[in-house]
Amino acid sequence: MDISKSYQVKLEVFQGPLDLLLFLIKKKKIDIHDIPIATITREYLKYLDQKENINLEREAEFLLIAALLIHIKSQMLLPQVNALEEEKDPRQLLVDKLLDYQKIKAACSILREKEKDRLPEWHRNFLPPLSLSDNLDLIEVSLFGLAEAFFSIMKRKEQENLKTIKGKTYSVKEKIEEILSTLYKDKFLDFLDFFNKQESMEEAVLSFFCLLELIKARIVIAIQENLFRSIKVWLRKENC
Amino acid sequence: MKASLKDIIESLIFVSLEPLSFDKIKSTLTEFQDEDIQIAINDLLECYSTNKRGIQIIQAAGGLLFSTNPDYDIWIKRLLNINRKNKLSPAALETISTIAYYQPITLAEISAIRGVDSTSSLKSLLQKRLVKIVGRKKGPGRPLIYRTSNRFLTYFGLQSISDLPSQEEITKILEDEKNSS
Repeated sequence: MDISKSYQVKLEVFQGPLDLLLFLIKKKKIDIHDIPIATITREYLKYLDQKENINLEREAEFLLIAALLIHIKSQMLLPQVNALEEEKDPRQLLVDKLLDYQKIKAACSILREKEKDRLPEWHRNFLPPLSLSDNLDLIEVSLFGLAEAFFSIMKRKEQENLKTIKGKTYSVKEKIEEILSTLYKDKFLDFLDFFNKQESMEEAVLSFFCLLELIKARIVIAIQENLFRSIKVWLRKENC
Repeated sequence: MKASLKDIIESLIFVSLEPLSFDKIKSTLTEFQDEDIQIAINDLLECYSTNKRGIQIIQAAGGLLFSTNPDYDIWIKRLLNINRKNKLSPAALETISTIAYYQPITLAEISAIRGVDSTSSLKSLLQKRLVKIVGRKKGPGRPLIYRTSNRFLTYFGLQSISDLPSQEEITKILEDEKNSS
């Protein structure tokens, strides 16, 4: 923490940054009763008014600590209903919390260093072979490729010139369940076959959305055995 | 025989996406003795550490994994057409270290320690699969409980959770900071 930049509290009993004040109160070097919080806030508001650039993060920190100070003081001023041992000293609670947070902050800086060391290391990121496939080179299909295949099927369907589009409503939930149950049964699903089997344009569009939804949720994976070959959809195995 | 065992293990690491653990190697190479496997692994690591090459074997999450030599980062990025690898955001980093130290932990507990709502950073960590859901807490609302994943260990190059900076190291950092400021 950069002391030179952080806001300095000036009181009769104490001069310095606010978090130090908090620390001293914890150490019982300063009695919270001697701290005029109204004065601190008034001075602070004056300081903010004079300031041209406000560093939001630092000011938020001030607010937090000031609020905690007020909380401590109000706790101390209120008559204790149950002054029994179970009620932890509010000052201690606060300090524990601050210490916890400080610990996390320090851990962050260590982890950031480690991340910096690891980032330039690249790992392999290919698709694991699927147990049922016949040793073909698998390419994970992009959504773009998937959409392209879908539109070509739709075009074909259009040419079939079907005239019966009526009456039936489809539900996303049912469709997803249908896709999943096919996958559980057959292990995979052939993209072309699947859409050719759909009765209507509407149903095909809905199925496509369901498929995209499943891919996005990382429940299934779309794989093309080779460029221009049929696309297959597999259930993704959890590997975490 | 020992020389080829080393090569076999090298090939196993090569096809692994996640760090390959000693146990996994052992259970795969049933025809070999555990000690021989251990010697071969040490040989292999020795080989890679003495002769620096384009790829290296790193030890993370209790296993072995190939990675590229960090010195060649710029050419890999050029090849893959990637400008820079994204670092974790400060909020995500803070969230993941909170989880790492206090796990198993709920979202409400994370937010309480950090003093800010951590929903979105937790979500991004889940998406990156650095964090996993391990169940629900018994209690009001049955909130989800989170832990760091193996991928978290690999990401930061840690062997296990106990590899995280210890209390003492943290205390030392805090003291250093205090002294320098």
